Amino acid sequence: MADFKAEVFQNEYLSDGATDVHGVVSVTCSGAGVAGQTAGTEAAEIIIVDTSGSMDMPPAKIAAARRAAKVAIEEIVDGTWFAVLSGHTIAQMVYPPHPGLAKMTAVTRRDASEAVTRLRSGGATAIGAWIAAATELFAQAPAGQRHAILLTDGKIEGEPEGALEAALANAVGKFQCDCRGIGSDWVVDELRAIATALLGTVDIVAEPADLEADFEEMMRNAMSRGVPDVRLRVWAPQGSEVLFVRQVAPQVDDLTSRATRISPLVVEFPTGAWSDESRDYHVSVRVPPAPVGNERLAARVELVVNDQVLAKALVKAVWSADTNLTTRIDPAVAHYTGQAQLADVIQRGLAAKSAGDERTATVLLGEAAKLAHDTGNESTTRLLAKVVDVVDVDAGTVRLKQQVAKSDEMALDTRSTKTTRIRREP
Amino acid sequence: MTCTHCGAAVAAGDAFCEACGGDLVSVPASTAISGTGSVADTSVPTGPSSAGSSPVGSSPVESSPGAHGRTHQIVPGTAAGRSSAPATISAGIWTAVDTSIPCTACGEIVADDGFCTVCGHRARTRREHWTETHGDRVGAVCDKGISHARNEDAMATAIGPAGVVVLVVCDGVTTAPESDRASLAASLAAADVLAAQPATEGSVAARISAWEPRLVAACRVANGEAVGVARALGDPREPPSCTFVAAVVDDDLVVTAWCGDSRAYWLADGAGPDAVGEQLTIDHSLGTEMIRSGMTREQAEAEATSHTITRWLGADSIDATPEFRAMQVDRAGWLLVCSDGLWNYASTPAELSALVEQARADGAATATAIAESLAAFANACGGRDNITVALARCEPPLP
Repeated sequence: MADFKAEVFQNEYLSDGATDVHGVVSVTCSGAGVAGQTAGTEAAEIIIVDTSGSMDMPPAKIAAARRAAKVAIEEIVDGTWFAVLSGHTIAQMVYPPHPGLAKMTAVTRRDASEAVTRLRSGGATAIGAWIAAATELFAQAPAGQRHAILLTDGKIEGEPEGALEAALANAVGKFQCDCRGIGSDWVVDELRAIATALLGTVDIVAEPADLEADFEEMMRNAMSRGVPDVRLRVWAPQGSEVLFVRQVAPQVDDLTSRATRISPLVVEFPTGAWSDESRDYHVSVRVPPAPVGNERLAARVELVVNDQVLAKALVKAVWSADTNLTTRIDPAVAHYTGQAQLADVIQRGLAAKSAGDERTATVLLGEAAKLAHDTGNESTTRLLAKVVDVVDVDAGTVRLKQQVAKSDEMALDTRSTKTTRIRREP
Repeated sequence: MTCTHCGAAVAAGDAFCEACGGDLVSVPASTAISGTGSVADTSVPTGPSSAGSSPVGSSPVESSPGAHGRTHQIVPGTAAGRSSAPATISAGIWTAVDTSIPCTACGEIVADDGFCTVCGHRARTRREHWTETHGDRVGAVCDKGISHARNEDAMATAIGPAGVVVLVVCDGVTTAPESDRASLAASLAAADVLAAQPATEGSVAARISAWEPRLVAACRVANGEAVGVARALGDPREPPSCTFVAAVVDDDLVVTAWCGDSRAYWLADGAGPDAVGEQLTIDHSLGTEMIRSGMTREQAEAEATSHTITRWLGADSIDATPEFRAMQVDRAGWLLVCSDGLWNYASTPAELSALVEQARADGAATATAIAESLAAFANACGGRDNITVALARCEPPLP
């Protein structure tokens, strides 16, 4: 059975009358095992490859997609239920030939790999329909983790507006989906909507040559997630308000709107399947203030699998008159507040830039450059450097570059949510 | 005037230091002393029906004026370096949270993690609130109060052979870290010593003479424990310190010894002008010095530093010699031993008697119940300090 550990980083001291408590809960999973091996569960994987007409322009894209799909099939572990879909105006079965899922064996592996070599492009890009098809296929799978990889090269067309939204609403909680956009003609917000709703990642693969490695890594990660459906439960005391629950590492993801209330004082958040990994969460609760000298719990944070609590962390509040204690900010809380701010400021800056508001974009991306620098987020600093020229990093002064490759802007957009971990003393 | 915690300048009458937030009223600044050298020289007035009192025990220790208590002078005869009890005292039953009692804030169930399942309040540890009961007539409560983060008060009660009642209260000095360990170790050790003493016989004078050295010895042992805690902590710059008051009821005799500003009172039954109540102890504090130098009680109590104690137990104590007082009881009443967490809110025997009467009128039938009622009163007044109340009923045979 997998082992979960939860640790809290916070300054529990509040001044007289203060109400807002912040804590970073760092959760580490070990011994997760391989997908589909928890007793009573079997894993399911669906690979969705965009085969719309544009995938042939240039042909390198569809060629890369065939190779990448094959490599992903190689990574799927025997015993996993799987399917490959070709996505265009409709979602078409590539393997198995009839609508359904096949069990991975040496035979099905060979047959599926052969089937993807025959992928041809043509048609529109009805991503909503692809999601709907995957949802139907997954319904046939036995209990266990369900995961899909979705590749597209363009924006949605060929289906009514709202089709994706409707398909996602129906798919939430049923499977996780990692999305990749090849080239730069696709829309970040469309894939981000899928990744957010379906607890997955979104990223750009600018060059077709890089697609194989990316698919291999994605599928390998999926196969290493041996613990399905891990939930984060947060108890907060009567009269309090959970202000937000935000995953802050390895990337920023605000979970707050995904809360399900399971009892008057407890809300639950889905976090998908886990491998051997570590994720950090920033929890903020507003509690009724207690007199100085009192100690109260602001939150109980639990990691739950199959209704079993596997790890627990306590976020405390201690009211004190000692300003030496109450004015401190815990380094982890400060760091992750900064990282979340960074992601937010980049997205708002890029949105302003696309809307033509260069002044706002310059201010916001300047803030981003300063934050990224101050928090040691080197990868974000590098991504920003492709979009802005930094004049004075300490003041946050930048200039928008005149010529920015669209893919560089999209890379900044999709990867802005990646955070650096706070370096903790051993 | 300077803040007793951080040394910053403060105005007379300030309740909290502006620089560090330190409490300037209820926390005695243990390191300030009067500049006249040995405090034990001061003569102590005797009261009616007492057999006289005097500073006794080991010869007073010389102190250098203005030395701020940093000299590690150990009262001769103390068992320095005893560290048996302190290590265990900060763990185990004292720190465990009792999850079987309802939440003290809202009355709901407490979870296994020690916090309430509904309001999140941390359940009390035994160290923060406990009672001791010996039948209906002897009972005591020790409570953290509201403002303080820790309960640095401690107490120990016992019944010795032939029904001798022992009450010990020690109030840890908040500004000296780990004083809660010192107060607990000191009170437990002193009560053990006193409860092991055989009954006294003979004349009143003989019995008083027998008890005096026993109480002095108990104080010495208590001081040894406090010093032992400092040793166990590696001799910190601000060693753990506490006050000391022990009182014994031996038939019709009440004897008490004290060091610091925790008090013993005699509260005869009845209210009104017929009631005879008396404060048996006189604080070893600057307030006492002020009154002796001519200030009225009200003036002295208004001074912010009046609570600064001039004697205490601990490794940096300048003078840990206890004072002794004996009293023969000729009517029914209560012996009350308490820390300043109570008497700060009700200082005169008349006020305390009234509180006891009120508790009984409200239905408190046992000594413990009355003690709980007095502690609740102090908390209702604000609970700015830890509160300890120990009561022993005295009902001498009427002639």
